[in-house]
Amino acid sequence: MTGNDTAAGILGVGIIGAGPVTQAIHLPALARLGDLFAVRHIMDADLAVAESVASRVGATHGSNVAALLADPEVDVVAICSPHQFHAEQVIAACRAGKKAVLCEKPFAMDAAEAEQISAVSKETGVPIIVGAMHTFDPGWLAAEANWGELPETAHTIRSSIVLPPNARFEDFATEVITRPATDSPDYTDPEVIRNALQGGIMGLAIHDLPLVRRFVPDFQDLEILQAHHVRPFGYVVSLRAGNRTVELRAVMSSTWKPEWTFEAISDDADLRVDFTPSYVQAGSAVARITRGGASSSHGPFGHNGYEGEWRELARLARGTAEPLSTENLINDLVFALAIAEASAAAATAEPAGAGA
Amino acid sequence: MNTSYTFAATQEADENGAVGAAVAALPLSFRPAATGENAQVAAIAGAAGWTSEAIRAVDAGARGVVVIAPHAEDTSALSRAAASAGAAVVLDHRWASNPGLVGAEDAVRSVAGRTAMLDTVATSAAGGDPEQLLAEHLAAVVRLTGPLESVHVLHRGPHGYTVSARLANAAPATLQGVLSDGRAAGVDFRLYTNDGGVSITVPEPSAAWPAEVRATAGQGEVLLPTLYETAHRGSWRRLKGHLDAGTLPADLAGFARLTAQLAQLG
Repeated sequence: MTGNDTAAGILGVGIIGAGPVTQAIHLPALARLGDLFAVRHIMDADLAVAESVASRVGATHGSNVAALLADPEVDVVAICSPHQFHAEQVIAACRAGKKAVLCEKPFAMDAAEAEQISAVSKETGVPIIVGAMHTFDPGWLAAEANWGELPETAHTIRSSIVLPPNARFEDFATEVITRPATDSPDYTDPEVIRNALQGGIMGLAIHDLPLVRRFVPDFQDLEILQAHHVRPFGYVVSLRAGNRTVELRAVMSSTWKPEWTFEAISDDADLRVDFTPSYVQAGSAVARITRGGASSSHGPFGHNGYEGEWRELARLARGTAEPLSTENLINDLVFALAIAEASAAAATAEPAGAGA
Repeated sequence: MNTSYTFAATQEADENGAVGAAVAALPLSFRPAATGENAQVAAIAGAAGWTSEAIRAVDAGARGVVVIAPHAEDTSALSRAAASAGAAVVLDHRWASNPGLVGAEDAVRSVAGRTAMLDTVATSAAGGDPEQLLAEHLAAVVRLTGPLESVHVLHRGPHGYTVSARLANAAPATLQGVLSDGRAAGVDFRLYTNDGGVSITVPEPSAAWPAEVRATAGQGEVLLPTLYETAHRGSWRRLKGHLDAGTLPADLAGFARLTAQLAQLG
């Protein structure tokens, strides 16, 4: 049990993992939600990082997950640790009787782990949110409320992500104290390319694959048509699933200009959603739906999907929102894994000098 | 002093290439040939057999030929006939002839060696012919990037196509065609480099919407001057320039390269 004054509406937050995502995304989002949340406990494997980040928000710090979960001040838990720890920590948070859990994507490494999480969530009644922030973006939600039959009729879906290095927007959002080291990959090594593609799908495309899946509910016949790495980091993936064409593009380079779009196209309608970049609190996406030569525009709204997911977490913790279907979360994960694995398998070494 | 040339257009050429509107916007350069008069310029449609029709026009004394939306066809005989007669043959493509592509070519050339990816999407009305769309799309791509390597079709169907290729520097290129009434017809190009790239949006030639060409680099983004001229008028204006100067355009040679590229797609 937890002991915060939830009657006053303030939920205590515990955060597992205090890296750049916590520093540059979740703490700035929570700073805008002081009427809903207060950060109580920060855990990181690096105690110095935990201490530094916790001191910014006046929270307890530590390097022990169990201690955070046992902290009665913690009502809801955000899991921002490396991917391989997600499943075990989500399950532990559910079993600790927390009010709700937010897990960064992906919430598991395979379908079996996801099923296990789902079972524990059902058993304990603790709702889980996966941090697919665009599914909580008010611009996306407005599109969903207005797109009519498009998920049934769309024949072409495109996701395109063009971003500067994360540090550009992290530095607009906060002052980061730790960053992962970067390396210089050998692009002539097929294994490097396969890993880059797998990482690109599970680290970048995964932001929008739940959106893609809204338009490709049946993906049993998923077929990768092409999968190429794009230098320095990115991908070109073309696939067919459920009689639809899906095109995934990403380029992370030194550009200053972000462009993050999602499109769904049918014979007579077109949806285009322009998302704001990660990290910065730059408001919501803008969605435009066109039919018969007439367009309706939705957004921008004042907050982005990160803030949206925290708002939803508050509603879940208070019992004022219906828990999300864990089956849906599992299918999102299975969809992403299927694309990542097939893309990696289809990838080959790059021709010499490709896009150098 | 401005030289004026007489022209005659077939009905199909007029319908497909808005010949009347294009020459009406060049009233000092072109005028209709009188009844019974041999026109100095022949405008023909690019349906199957257009090269034979163009040769007939050249043999009949035409100094210039405008071909509207030419389909893939062996142009070698026409090239010989045109060169021999000193006749200028201008091909009027749906998107590749947009006058904005002159500036776009320079912008693309400036990033050619360091392009990391080309992503281009062509859109046309639902129910249209995806093969024709691909030919029109590829014409615009080849004009901008030069011939593609390893070009092959990944998927084609009633709603469009996906074509994979490599640029000259081996960067991946994907051409996607979409048949839909939900969005404006046109073709969109995105070339990405490590510090930005070039984006090009080419509209339909049915109105004088300008192509938008943007070059992005570390210091910011430049929108190239917008040209409010249709592809059709641009083609006629280009022909006028060649007729005045007595030069021959390279359209047929370029079209031979495009035809060879299309043949690779099967």
